[in-house]
Amino acid sequence: MSDQTLPGSPVTVGGYLARVPGVAFILLAMVVAFQIGNPRFLSITNLSNVGLQASLLLMLALPMTLVILTSGLDLSVGALIGLAAVIIATLLVAGWSIFSALAAAVALGLVVGLLNGFMISYLALPAFVVTLGTMGLCEGLALALTNGEPIGGFTPALEAFYRAAVFGIPVPVLVAAAFYGLLYLVLYRTRFGIYIFAVGGNKDAVHLAGIRANLVHMAVYVVCSVSVALSAVLLLGRTNSAHPTVAVGMEFEAIAAVVLGGTSFEKGQGWLFGTVLGVLAITVLRNGLNVLSVEPSLQVVCVGVLLIAALLIDRNRKRPVARITE
Amino acid sequence: MRNKITVTLTVAALAWLGSSHSTLADGEIVAAFTKNQVDPHFEGVRAGVEQMAKKMHATVRQYVPTKPNNITEGMSQLEDVGVTKPAVILFMPIDPKAQLPTIKRLIEGGTPIVNYNDKAGDAPYLSFVGEDDYKLAYDIAKTLFEHLGGKGNVVILEGVKGSNTGDERKRGFDAALKEYPNIKLLASQPANFQRLLGLQVMENFIQQFSDIDGVLSAADASALGAAEALKSAGRTKTAVVSINGVPEAVEAVKEGSLLAIAEFNGFKIGCVATEIGLRAIRGEKTPKRLLIPGAIITKANFAEWLVPYDKRTCPTAESYAAGQ
Amino acid sequence: MTTLQAPVSTALPAVPVPMLVRLAIIVVICVALSLISPAFATIDNALNLLRQASLLFLVASGLTLVIIGGGLDLSIGANLTLCACLSASVIKLTGQPVAGVAVALGCGTLVGLTNGLLINRLKIPAFLATFGMLWVAQGIAYWFMAGQVIYGFPAAFRFFGGGFWLGVPVPIWVMLAVGAGCLIFLTRTTIGREVYVMGANEAAASLSGIPIARRRMLLYALSGFAAGLAALIYVARLNAAEPGIGEPLLLPAIAAVLVGGTSLFGGSGSILGTLSGAVILTLIVAALNLLNVGSAWHPFVTGAVILLAMLTDAFAARRAGH
Repeated sequence: MSDQTLPGSPVTVGGYLARVPGVAFILLAMVVAFQIGNPRFLSITNLSNVGLQASLLLMLALPMTLVILTSGLDLSVGALIGLAAVIIATLLVAGWSIFSALAAAVALGLVVGLLNGFMISYLALPAFVVTLGTMGLCEGLALALTNGEPIGGFTPALEAFYRAAVFGIPVPVLVAAAFYGLLYLVLYRTRFGIYIFAVGGNKDAVHLAGIRANLVHMAVYVVCSVSVALSAVLLLGRTNSAHPTVAVGMEFEAIAAVVLGGTSFEKGQGWLFGTVLGVLAITVLRNGLNVLSVEPSLQVVCVGVLLIAALLIDRNRKRPVARITE
Repeated sequence: MRNKITVTLTVAALAWLGSSHSTLADGEIVAAFTKNQVDPHFEGVRAGVEQMAKKMHATVRQYVPTKPNNITEGMSQLEDVGVTKPAVILFMPIDPKAQLPTIKRLIEGGTPIVNYNDKAGDAPYLSFVGEDDYKLAYDIAKTLFEHLGGKGNVVILEGVKGSNTGDERKRGFDAALKEYPNIKLLASQPANFQRLLGLQVMENFIQQFSDIDGVLSAADASALGAAEALKSAGRTKTAVVSINGVPEAVEAVKEGSLLAIAEFNGFKIGCVATEIGLRAIRGEKTPKRLLIPGAIITKANFAEWLVPYDKRTCPTAESYAAGQ
Repeated sequence: MTTLQAPVSTALPAVPVPMLVRLAIIVVICVALSLISPAFATIDNALNLLRQASLLFLVASGLTLVIIGGGLDLSIGANLTLCACLSASVIKLTGQPVAGVAVALGCGTLVGLTNGLLINRLKIPAFLATFGMLWVAQGIAYWFMAGQVIYGFPAAFRFFGGGFWLGVPVPIWVMLAVGAGCLIFLTRTTIGREVYVMGANEAAASLSGIPIARRRMLLYALSGFAAGLAALIYVARLNAAEPGIGEPLLLPAIAAVLVGGTSLFGGSGSILGTLSGAVILTLIVAALNLLNVGSAWHPFVTGAVILLAMLTDAFAARRAGH
């Protein structure tokens, strides 16, 4: 921990620039290229599309950043958001109010988060296996509850919420921004945040310092699962129906976005805003390729190349170790 | 230094990717949506769209999700296509409930849309071009039951549960079953229109039931998998029927490993949807709904469906309009 | 007190207790199913289920080696797809099954070596390097196939997937051969032992003179090779190659390795474990079908089995005093 600056020390502009992950340069390059390719790329309509498409991935990738900071991983988020959507939709159709349905989603998130967190933290089991297991549980439950069929016909309020805009900014973008703000405060302005970095850095040392490291570790998974379960509201608004397996596979994209943003699997190094850049890079790439009508099979290759290229850039630069403070 | 090179190369490559497509524009732009790059049925659709568009001097842009049948990607692509303002969109839903609101907004924004291949809910489309999945399934089931002399044991390989196509085809199978009291349904399981699943579900059926006379498959891929399983178990007497008619399956009809196929012709649907879309935006009068009749493909008539897509000639909408 | 350090395996696996537990589970499931359905306890059905398990095992075998060495390979499914498509088109073009076999094994190995290179030289985490490779390989396969399916292969080639030798399906023989090969590699060769050491503690392995980079290249190459081999069996079994065949196999293959007791921390695990994992997962699907449980429950049960396998191993390890 000796190379990490202490809380409150000033951060210079140069320090900021040096910390920018390679994906930021690629993002810039993509924006320039797509704008040359199609002048409508930077239009208000398209920017709002990018915002909408990024917001959902962001809701998964931001809490995933906390998990990865603790040297962990959560593969269950994609299946969990699908299951939460199924449960909310089922309850709404059954006549529950939105708030009771949301409470049920929070309860679901708590159960899954506690299950993940307990096994990973207290039992010291590998996060990959634990969350792969809970991923199966969530996906299977969602399928079994719906018999594989989408559930629709719930209140149009969710879609109206999703489609609404304040000062021209889509609500989901505002929600994601607010969530970023919240996690920012938690991570950089509270003791809990400092503990998260510390658990990732050296859990034993945290424990020896008299902090309940296991509890902090478990809490990270609970935060992740609960926020993901609540994000199901955005998913429901977007798809206007609950698909049991709609988001299975999104966990890998969320993890890729986090790592693209410069958060590492080791030693509690990471940067929350980097995750925003990572999510934007993935979203802009897909959106831009669509706007330029690039051939579908090439689009698949491009996603892989983006991942590897961004990491190559980072490999070739010497970045200082990320700090505890922002 | 290396970073600059990487960034420059990225910009150049992306700009090239973009320009190589945007310079081709010649006439109206048709944006064609299909559900995946895996099932040859959709390759037939895309080939039909390309051929008719070329004939009518329009340019095609294909939109396919990178993950097969992925609904969130399908949503994003619909949103993104709105930005490029194509002259007409040819649209098939991955999920009608989810995509309908975006579709309506596109139509309100002035982009005309033709719904093709399968129904996408209620919106002011220019037209619907497709086939009747229920009737195809009903007809092919009857073909099988007649072949069996009205009695015997059958199994069903369903499609994807919850998909319009899968459900309608299952409904058609069930309706035909009701008319043949001496045909016994042993089991019915989803094979998700997939080959490997078709093979493995059939392998398990073969172990469970010593006497299977017929197999009703909701699509070619799972039927071909099932035929493979039957062949290696030496159960060559079991008759397999299916729906679609991609060239590989038609070849299997020729060889005898499939008994018959109800034609669900992606190529024709692609051709006719493109023709109707382009004619409508050019101010001509076009039918609101056009169902292409599907033939039953058997050993007696298979040759027409063995021709590769790029050697086929598009039918015209007019040739079907008479019967509507 | 828990620790984040990888548990260092104190001894190479002799006959570990968890293996006996797995054997017992397999026996129990089989006996129960035979009681439910008389059609289950037949040689034919056993061969049928083993043939299904063999496909899963082949994909999982190379992955087992990589994971024991402390890595991960998410590209195996996409790699399998690419190998299947390329080799199928070569067989169609040349009419020579041998050429197709060479292409599949070559392509698989090449993709594996690229993974190893990305991880070694560029220090990209295995998770991301192979995840990026997943997209690249899948994209090339889509582009190469252009929506078509390649089908109809010579009988000599299809023998690998659908044929029988001495009354036993050929894929089962392949499974046994690959399993024996991996077993000998892991337990009877110096390099195999080094793989365990490397997976348990890379720094210590490096200090004791094990060439980590070269060993890692070898492991990913073997994983790719196994994907190529599995591709051949798949194509021969299905009599067709399509760009969607590999992707659904990734998670079941990982599950088979994990249910087999191989630790994702690296340094412990066995190929026999993976074999038992593949058999258990296949048996469970068969059981659910036999009991007429809807296919919707399959992921749920698989997830529960993964968790149970891990928990029992953890408690067994704690009992044994780790």
